[in-house]
This record gives sequence, C-alpha cells and structure tokens, in this order.
Amino acid sequence: MNEGLVVLVRSIIAFFSLLIFAKILGKQQISQLSFFDYVLGITIGSIAATLTTDLSSRAWPHFVGLLTWALLGYIMEVITLKWRYASKYIDGEPTIIIMNGKIMENALRKMKYKVSDIMGLLRNKDIFDLSQVDFAIIETNGQLSVLKKPEYEPLTPKDMNILKAPTGISTELIYDGILIDENLRQLNKTKNWIMDQLKMQEIKDISEVFLATLTPSGSLYVDKYKDRIKKITDIGDYKGPY
Amino acid sequence: MRKFLVITIPIVTLVFFICIMLSGSFFKKPLGKDDNIPESIQLILQDVESENWEGARDKTDNLSNAWKKIVKRIQFSSERDEINAFDASTARLRGAITAKDKSAAFIELSEAYEHWDGLGK
Repeated sequence: MNEGLVVLVRSIIAFFSLLIFAKILGKQQISQLSFFDYVLGITIGSIAATLTTDLSSRAWPHFVGLLTWALLGYIMEVITLKWRYASKYIDGEPTIIIMNGKIMENALRKMKYKVSDIMGLLRNKDIFDLSQVDFAIIETNGQLSVLKKPEYEPLTPKDMNILKAPTGISTELIYDGILIDENLRQLNKTKNWIMDQLKMQEIKDISEVFLATLTPSGSLYVDKYKDRIKKITDIGDYKGPY
Repeated sequence: MRKFLVITIPIVTLVFFICIMLSGSFFKKPLGKDDNIPESIQLILQDVESENWEGARDKTDNLSNAWKKIVKRIQFSSERDEINAFDASTARLRGAITAKDKSAAFIELSEAYEHWDGLGK
C-alpha cells in the first residue's frame, strides 16, 4: 500500500467534494452568516480532514458523513428560505438594542450582550458617543447596524441641492499590457481614442501600461509599470525580514 | 454550457469519487488468472491438511504475489488496518509452515480469509 499515493487520491476526493458541497450550500457558508453555519463549516471541514488522512478506515464512511452534513445544511437553508417561522427559530431575528437613543436593557440581557460589547461594536462603526445613536440593531450574524440621529448624519450633495453626475463603475481597458477590446467596445471607445489618451500621459505603447480603467463618466485611470517614484514611503514601524 | 458546468461536472465528479470509494468489493475479486485469494487459501489448506509443507510454502508465495496485485487495486477504497492484518497473517502462516505446525497454519489461514472477506465492507 502506497500511503502517500492513497492520501493524494483521498485529498483530491475530499477537496473537490468539499468544494462542490460548499457551492451547493451557497455563499452563507463562506460569509459565516450565523453561529450555526459557522459550526457546520467547522464540522464539515473536520470530516473532510479525517477523510483525507485517516487511513485506518475506509474513505466511504467519511464521505457519507460529509454528504449527510452538507445535505442537512442544505435542507436547513431551504427550510429557512421557504418557512419564515422556522427561519426565525433557526437563524434568529434582528434585535433592536437602542431605540430612539435609549438602550433596551431587557433586549441586551436576552441577547447576552454586555454594554461594553455594544460600545465596542459601535466603535467599529466609528461611533464613540452614544448620544449620536438613534437606532442600533444586532443582526442575526452578530453584527451591529446603526442609524445615527439626523443631526449627526454626514452632509450629502442632496442636502445642499447640488446636482452630481453619476460616476458609475470603472471598467478595465488595459490589464498587464494587453488591451481588452470587448470592454473598449462596451464603452463606445476606439483603440485610437485610448492611444491618444495614453500619448497625453507620455505613454508610447500599451505594453507600458499595467492597468487602465475608465468610468462611464469619462474618468480615466492609468498605472504604468515604471512608477518613477524616487522616495518610497515606508509605513513599516519595526524592522522585520522584509 | 452553464448548465453543463454547474450541474453535470459536479455530479459526474461525485459519482466518480463514489465509484473509487466503493470499488474495493469489486477489485478484491479475481480479475486475472493468478489473483484469486480464496482459491489460493483453499489450496494451501489442502496442502496443510495433507502435510505437504513444500507445496504449502510455494502456494503461500503465490498467495503473497496475488495479494500484492490485489492491494494495488484496492488501496484507494480499503482500510489500511485490514491490509496490514492480512500481511501479518501471511507472515505468521509462513512461520507455521516452516515449523510444520498444522493447527497454527489453520488458524492463520482462517484469519487471513476473514481479513480478505472484511475488505471493502
């Protein structure tokens, strides 16, 4: 028995089975939506690990375990999608812990959150003063969502009656020195246009460009391979191997 | 094309994996002329019974060779413990044949058969 070879084959089986099951279970599994999903992920991972390296037993029973866990996870997901009552029980529901600026002590106690936990979660949201908070909700994934009081909300162009053109999402035109014709056509631009733009930035050939992106509003970003930066800012504060 | 990628490939992959994992009970059975474990054990039993120790030794070599062939086929679907236990049984069987110990040889042969039978179950 060639143990190395057997482990190699079992690794391939476990890896791709896990990948397929994770895909079937959906993105929830990856974003750790709830504690249950988190535990599910750990267990499935652990079964896959045993399937790979525990040569004292056959691969098949481990695979059945892996399949059963993935299947139950999938069934749970379907149930919570189709049946809201069950969803409330399994996934929980968002809980309001600050309402109109007032802390809901009972809700906090029920959720087993300390005030210091809430303060920490608020600081994560860049809020250091409780009086700025109008509403705070603990989501089912344990994250805090905060609605600030109107007077503490940042000023927006709409408040000032300023009209702003939409910027849109930037599209890659050149990547790694290669022109992406498809994206160029999508934005109704030609190769001549991009060459003219590059010339304006003293670039003679597309191969000099690492990345060029364009937004629908016409903002072009170009990054060359040669950056010509003489003094590079070092943000490291401690000497290390690099 | 998308359907092929999303549905067919994962299903085919999983079915292929399942076939590998369950192939033990198929591959342990004889596929050629000289890889029949139950028959080899039976032949050794006959030799031990008639105290033909020379023949039993030759047939134990044949059993070992057949076993080597089988292990190559079943290693991906069987448990290592059973494989190791079969190896230990044949080693003890050799000792029993050298010592011309009839009862020990019977014990080992019966155990070896049990290990072969347990493979892939």
